[in-house]
Amino acid sequence: MKRIINKVAVLGSGVMGSRIACHFANIGVEVLLLDIVPRELDPAEAKKGLTLDHPAVRNRLVNAALEAALKSNPSPIYSKSFISLIETGNFEDDMHRIAECDWIIEVVVERLDIKQVVFEKVEKYRKPGTLITSNTSGIPINMLIEGRSEDFISHFCGSHFFNPPRYLKLLEIIPSAKTDQEVIDFLMDYGARFLGKKTVLCKDTPAFIANRVGVFGIQALFHLVEEMDLSIEEVDKLTGPAMGRPKSATFRTCDVVGLDTLIHVANGVRENCPKDERSEVFAIPGYVQHLADNKWLGSKSGQGFYKKAKAADGSPEILVFDIKTKAYRSQNKVKFATLEAAKAVDALAPRTKVLYKGKDKAGEFYRRSFHALFSYVSNRIPEISDELYRIDDALKAGFGWELGAFETWDAVGVAEGLKATLAEGLKVSPWVQDMLDKGITSFYRVNEGQREYYDLTSHTYKVIPGQDQTISLANISDDKVLWKNSGTTVKDLGDGILNLEFHTKMNTIGSEVLQGLNKAMDMAEKDYRGLVISNEGQNFSAGANVGMIFMMAVEQEFDELDMAVKLFQQTTTRLRHCGVPVIAAPHGLTLGGGCEICLHVDKVIAHAESYIGLVEFGVGLIPGGGGTKEFAVRLADELHEGDIETNQFRNRFLTIGQAKVSTSAQEAFELGYLRQGQDEVVVSREHQLSVAKARCLAMADQGYTSPKPRKDIRVLGSEVLGIVNIGAHSMMSGNYISDHDRIISEKLGFALAGGDLSTPTVVTEKYLLDLERRKFLELCGERKTLERLQSIITTGKVLRN
Amino acid sequence: MDAYIIKAYRTAVGKAPRGLFRHMRADDLGANVIRHIMNELPGLDPERIDDVIVGNATPEAEQGLNLGRMVSLMGLDSDKVPGMTVNRYCSSGLETIAIASAKIHSGMADCIIAGGIETMTPIPFGGWRLVPNAHVSKEHPTWYWGMGLTAEAVARDYKVSREDQDAFALESHRRAAEAIDNGRFKEGIVPIEVTEVFVKDDKRQERTYTVDTDEGVRRGGTLEALGKLRPVFDAKGTVTAGNASQTSDGAAFTMVVSERMLKELGVEPIAQLKSYKVAGLDPRVMGMGPLYAVPDAIKSAGLKKSDIGLYELNEAFASQSLAVIRELDLDPSIVNVNGGAIALGHPLGCTGTKLSVQLFSEMRARKEKYGIVTMCVGTGQGAAGVFELMN
Repeated sequence: MKRIINKVAVLGSGVMGSRIACHFANIGVEVLLLDIVPRELDPAEAKKGLTLDHPAVRNRLVNAALEAALKSNPSPIYSKSFISLIETGNFEDDMHRIAECDWIIEVVVERLDIKQVVFEKVEKYRKPGTLITSNTSGIPINMLIEGRSEDFISHFCGSHFFNPPRYLKLLEIIPSAKTDQEVIDFLMDYGARFLGKKTVLCKDTPAFIANRVGVFGIQALFHLVEEMDLSIEEVDKLTGPAMGRPKSATFRTCDVVGLDTLIHVANGVRENCPKDERSEVFAIPGYVQHLADNKWLGSKSGQGFYKKAKAADGSPEILVFDIKTKAYRSQNKVKFATLEAAKAVDALAPRTKVLYKGKDKAGEFYRRSFHALFSYVSNRIPEISDELYRIDDALKAGFGWELGAFETWDAVGVAEGLKATLAEGLKVSPWVQDMLDKGITSFYRVNEGQREYYDLTSHTYKVIPGQDQTISLANISDDKVLWKNSGTTVKDLGDGILNLEFHTKMNTIGSEVLQGLNKAMDMAEKDYRGLVISNEGQNFSAGANVGMIFMMAVEQEFDELDMAVKLFQQTTTRLRHCGVPVIAAPHGLTLGGGCEICLHVDKVIAHAESYIGLVEFGVGLIPGGGGTKEFAVRLADELHEGDIETNQFRNRFLTIGQAKVSTSAQEAFELGYLRQGQDEVVVSREHQLSVAKARCLAMADQGYTSPKPRKDIRVLGSEVLGIVNIGAHSMMSGNYISDHDRIISEKLGFALAGGDLSTPTVVTEKYLLDLERRKFLELCGERKTLERLQSIITTGKVLRN
Repeated sequence: MDAYIIKAYRTAVGKAPRGLFRHMRADDLGANVIRHIMNELPGLDPERIDDVIVGNATPEAEQGLNLGRMVSLMGLDSDKVPGMTVNRYCSSGLETIAIASAKIHSGMADCIIAGGIETMTPIPFGGWRLVPNAHVSKEHPTWYWGMGLTAEAVARDYKVSREDQDAFALESHRRAAEAIDNGRFKEGIVPIEVTEVFVKDDKRQERTYTVDTDEGVRRGGTLEALGKLRPVFDAKGTVTAGNASQTSDGAAFTMVVSERMLKELGVEPIAQLKSYKVAGLDPRVMGMGPLYAVPDAIKSAGLKKSDIGLYELNEAFASQSLAVIRELDLDPSIVNVNGGAIALGHPLGCTGTKLSVQLFSEMRARKEKYGIVTMCVGTGQGAAGVFELMN
């Protein structure tokens, strides 16, 4: 059966409900968000003379919850323009409207009796065949369906989002034994493709997969801290980016999640999994209980393992909870030889091995925590999942780990890890030894471009399903690697489409990347049908490598600098005029030069979580790789007869002048970085590259002829220079910008206006590129620009001088 | 030949852009006041009116197309009366009374409708399309400064503290609220009926309401609340939304006639404009304009400062109002006795006439003979008019 989701009902508007509602609005689905009717008037309502019958009163809770969610940071909504898709109401007046919905999601309090009352009402109005799911994190699905109708039961599933649902990738799908297979298949696919989540199929076991194993991991660390006499900040340093986990690491993550939530899950597992061989790990250690007893639950109560305070000099300071003294104190500098040694290793898997082999206390910490995890996950199969990759998927997507438990084990070596784990007296499920006995030495492998996992029942590798719909650059086999230099790789995606991948630090763009871009275009024009620019780094690109610019500027080698900037301009210009279609597929940070690449390709297929911006202002420059020129071109194209040109000019000017970065790809359209009707957004990161490739292929199939250099760009000239100068001077006089900001603003305005032409004039791209480059070079000769460049290079911080 | 003001009315002032007049165009608003004046003079053949002169600070869009001529056609039921629009920014509405008086004085006219209209709701501050001269903008950027920055410059140069500005603003609201409660503005205000056409449930709907009271006054404000507002024009400054004038919609008109016409109509005159002076100064501190215009105007009227019993000093900003009061050594108890633009609003081109209407009522109530309407004017100017109340 084919399902089309036009409208969903979200029942319950708490932290999760309101944010789930926002995420559906993000993908263009209408949402009916309902919650309970308040029992009493609040003082403001009473003062206004409202009664309990007034709609504003009856929807107060849901409206307040949605408003709070929309105000929260980071925002749950891609763009404010999507908010209108969400309609609010209450359980008493609007429940009948769930009949309009294609999917009903229950997100009320985690209490079986309350959920049952809600389901009772749902039964009354739900159209047969409508999806009905619960966002429960702990109540068994089997108990939720007790007493429900057959149609309800066959369309019912657990759908467990993680907070914040827009940003955390995991969506656990938990069917009951009676859920229709069609429903399960639909949710697994819809969650991935439409909502952009990693959908993980779970069994109906306590805490499902991610929380069961993830909270075990956290609890194990809670105990290990005490056993090894470590401090909280030490553990966070050890369990953060060094081992491929988020910066918030362990304890900071607990503060964000809330200690009460964590304890709730831990207690649940302890109660409901009496046979868990590590049940004792889920017991709450004294110091954690101390925090909970004091209601120091983390961010929501203002303090937890950490606490914001002011240092003696008035500067903000983050204090840490000392587990021995049970008091907050200043953080100590954390240093371990193992961490220092690991710094030198970029790739995570070999780095993990370095950590694991460490000879100091840190090494011991890694070994003990890894062994506990290895043992625990081995014993969870088949209890919580038949396939090992689902456990890794859940941990990675739910907790932002770069390596799952089995992947970590692969990294340290399965045999070695097994031996050491057993030597510690921990129990490991026999299937691991079985696997090794069969000569299989890793849980995963890549075979013919596809990732495979070890399947316990067939004792062989099996392909992880879903890969026919996606392309992963990491899994592309070596024979498809066509060319490589220190910063880029050209890979063959098949069907005549090439991919150029950046892999410099932060994916910054320097000469090696420009060389790669030109090489890829040479190759594509010679033997292929199209080119995609994408990569699997954390970010698409943090911008141009300003180190080189700085060096040349300091040495006052302006001719060479001119050549370098010219090469950048020629490369972006060539992206536009290349003989084959060129598509950029950005994700994450797409700044400066990275943005300029996107501005010049035929089409951008952006991941929804793309943060795009021309941020050169921060380093005292203007976009010099064609970005300023392109904004002038786009301004000219978006003006219609009768428009107030100066206002639209101002918008384009301010976008660069305030270094605006979109908070989503959707917002990038509003800022003019993406083109309506031409560029596209893909919500699923996993599907992004295959979509980009398909579009590239379609353009080639249509018969592609590249756009020709423009000679018809109408610029406004001195007509707009006055407003630029006055605006900059006023902002400076009002202490909002520095004098140097004023100088950059004036140069930006000059380049964007096409110079001091007496009247609006039609010019060529070349004229604008030359002007942009001239202003860029003028700024390179400014001392304060050099100071800004130096600051970003040495400290990574934007200097406002 | 002496010129006499025989009628003076204004609308209530609405807040812009989301106030009571947001559904009312400038020309409709002005025509309403003119019709009200004509209704009070049934014996006057409209064709005897020589001209309609309208002050307006942003004569474009809804206020464009020669607003003066349009309201003449719309308000007088005749095509025989011409009309013109005058722009001297915030003194436009006083300027038009001066032009009318001067024309009559010189014998060029017998009867002129003079006033001002400004609806700031539909038109952005400064107009839709700002195109400053590129090279002047480099050489003299302060000539184009926004008014807020000039208010900051005045606050700095004349050392007007944030606390004093906030206290001044609070007092303006207090006085305005008291004046409204005591009906001080009643006789000068023409009630205006507003019709709003809108869509509800996909259907066209209409509603009508009457506006007869100034909308901008905030009651129950406190110094503490004012103190919490952030500066708007300068990150380190003192000028806030709370101690600056409000953006507003309003219209006001007077009828100025010659002595001959006065006798013919057999009406009592209200007041005479004795003198009107405009001064220029550094645009950076435009708020100090009255400092030069007021002494000039008093002198030109042949009077002394001590003769003046009442002032309407337009409160563009608390900073410049305070600096002007201090520098001119005015008695605060006779300045803006019923509050000012901080509380009541500042419909730019209308303000000069509107303040005159208020001045006349209050002079009558207080039996004062001489009063002054004065204001600072954008791009470094000040204006002041001395009025004598007729008995």
